[in-house]
Amino acid sequence: MACIVMALLFAIANSTDASESLQDGTNRNQHIIASNITQQEETSGYESSTLAEEISKELFSGKENTEIVMPENENKKSWHKLENYFSADLRILAYGVAQNPAESNRNPNNDFLEIPHYVTNTEIRPDFYFNSNYLDLSVKPRSTFQYNIWKEGMRDGDTDWNDDWYVNEWIARVKAWNKLFLSYGRENLQWGPSFLYSPSNPFFSDNGRSNNYMEVQGMDFARILFVPHLNWSISLIVNTDEGRNSLPNSEPFEKIYALKVDYTGINGYASLIYSRKDSSQSNKIGFFGGWTASDALLLYTESSVQNGSDAWYPVTDSSLFGASLQQVHQDDDDVTPTILVGGAYTFLNSGTLTLEYLYNGPGYDRDEANLSFSTLKRAADAYDSLMKSAESDSEKEELADSLQEYLSSQNTDPGLRFLRRNYAMLQYYQVNIRNRLAITLRWTQNIDDGSGQFFGLFSYQLGDHWDLFGSGIINAGNKNTEYGSILDYQGMLGLKLSL
Amino acid sequence: MVHKFNRQFLFILEFIFFILIFTFTAQAQVSPKEMLEKADEARGSYEGVEVTVTMESNELGRKQYRVMKVSEKGYNCFLDTLAPSNVKGQRILMRDRNLWYANPGLSKPVPVSPRQKLIGVAVNGDIVSTNYTRDYKIVSTQDSILKGEDCTLMNLEAVDKRTTYDRIKYWISKDRLVGVKGEFYTVSGKMFKSATFEYNNKITVNGKPRDFISKAIITSAIIKDDFTIIDYSKPVQKIIPDALFNVNLLTK
Repeated sequence: MACIVMALLFAIANSTDASESLQDGTNRNQHIIASNITQQEETSGYESSTLAEEISKELFSGKENTEIVMPENENKKSWHKLENYFSADLRILAYGVAQNPAESNRNPNNDFLEIPHYVTNTEIRPDFYFNSNYLDLSVKPRSTFQYNIWKEGMRDGDTDWNDDWYVNEWIARVKAWNKLFLSYGRENLQWGPSFLYSPSNPFFSDNGRSNNYMEVQGMDFARILFVPHLNWSISLIVNTDEGRNSLPNSEPFEKIYALKVDYTGINGYASLIYSRKDSSQSNKIGFFGGWTASDALLLYTESSVQNGSDAWYPVTDSSLFGASLQQVHQDDDDVTPTILVGGAYTFLNSGTLTLEYLYNGPGYDRDEANLSFSTLKRAADAYDSLMKSAESDSEKEELADSLQEYLSSQNTDPGLRFLRRNYAMLQYYQVNIRNRLAITLRWTQNIDDGSGQFFGLFSYQLGDHWDLFGSGIINAGNKNTEYGSILDYQGMLGLKLSL
Repeated sequence: MVHKFNRQFLFILEFIFFILIFTFTAQAQVSPKEMLEKADEARGSYEGVEVTVTMESNELGRKQYRVMKVSEKGYNCFLDTLAPSNVKGQRILMRDRNLWYANPGLSKPVPVSPRQKLIGVAVNGDIVSTNYTRDYKIVSTQDSILKGEDCTLMNLEAVDKRTTYDRIKYWISKDRLVGVKGEFYTVSGKMFKSATFEYNNKITVNGKPRDFISKAIITSAIIKDDFTIIDYSKPVQKIIPDALFNVNLLTK
């Protein structure tokens, strides 16, 4: 009799485990399996439990080992099962920024870019997930509350409060046979190994790696991902809408179609991306690859070639200051390459040193950069002389408005992630220093104009939920350089709460 | 009648004797490589295992923990962090010798090296890279007794520079065919860390119960008080789809 009871209990326990195995989405025809933790604990001979064991038991207690289902508990069990499909995260970031706008021709007296001196920001970032065997859903709504204070230029003494509510990302993904994934939604679709820039990505110019605490705005994509083999995958991607991302100079959005083929081998990986813009019919071929040279050394490259360029270049014309930005290379047949090569070495202390070189083919050459900055200088000089000739504050504001009105009708954003052609980056990165601290120290050098940027980032864990984080930027270079013309410095300090 | 019974009894005895001899001979014939393969399996190198891993580390007096779900299939491993809250959602994917790291704050998966630190004394390679048979060659073996247990002490050397450690001294129990202790050395020949392993979990493979790792205690050889305890619980063998190891699906 006892044997029969034991056999029944064993059968129930096994069927419970088997059904749970089916739930978590891996495979129907499972060949299984199951080790019963209760049995293990009885036979394990553990006499003392570590903190880790206690945490583990607490986290998972009652979730998986429901051996016997009594009728009155059936609803509860169903609810537990359903509960397992849902998950959510919440991150709240509160931070302050202090920054000093550079006194430059690009932004004389800070009257054009109107960069606030102080910014306080609170961002509420909940993420909601539903994950089942056949369907994944996620939505990432965002709320931001920002308070700005100006200390430079015409807006000296101004303050401004604004709030923004939006959905930065959402996705619905259908899974078929664990090999085919069809999805639609707003995503921040990124790939590639590089830090500075991901030229192989035809959709996003910002790869989001400059500051991990800042989110890249999502765009709308329809995707089909086919995984025929462990080593291979093929993606068909359509960028259907610009979503929250905006194009430079209010350009109209163009759909982009892309085919991406990924291969992962034993010591390396490679991907090829072909993309085509819907209306302009311009083509781009992207590539990235990486090689695990040793347990400490990673080498990688990321590149693209395209016909012409959609960027805006300075062209001498009869406009007010003698030149304006125009898309003059859009229909060029010449192939423009962008090539990034990099390597990362991890020391025994786990710190990682990364070095990258970027050749940015669409960037300005010396003549184009000179024309761009000389035009800006003429505009800035004209602005200065007009301001000096003004006799009252109201007249100054009127003059500034009229010039701003003229300049706002001009194309001012070149649409280039990097303005010039040759860049280098050196970065040191280390996590879990004394189990608490993570740091990133980065120097980016514009080789062509000699300007550079130092970026430092740290985060310090204050328990299981709180992180203190901060970043600092110091730009070096004169007024007529890329890094010297916008900000002198920027400092940020904040707290992150994770639930 | 008695004579017939004696003949039957003798036959049974001979049969039992034959079986015992065969069993002992078979066990004695387990080659060092086979021992290493079995020891790898017991640390997770099966064709499809899912296990909950809880790590507790002490580094210079500061404690930290992680709870992770780890899915392994051959040379591939997917690690999803479940707790604490401020690292929840961090993921590590190993595809052969390629590793990527993703977290909810990062917009894309970042390639990382096996040497990069995970928590405390443990590096990524300690959790995701369990296949010593592929990554190391057996240079020599010798008999050794560890805590009263007959062991084979194997001197392992990395087959190339892509492994987490340059050299490992690895004690494998002769009886249980599981690795019970390891000492890990750098290129310079210095012992970098040591680890002990316990196997109180069971996993059923093709209907047969097998020992499965339940705890690893990794201790720094440089700072003696620094350690990381890795607990493995709820191991389940299952068929894991290839797509789980696809980097395109790594970010949440």
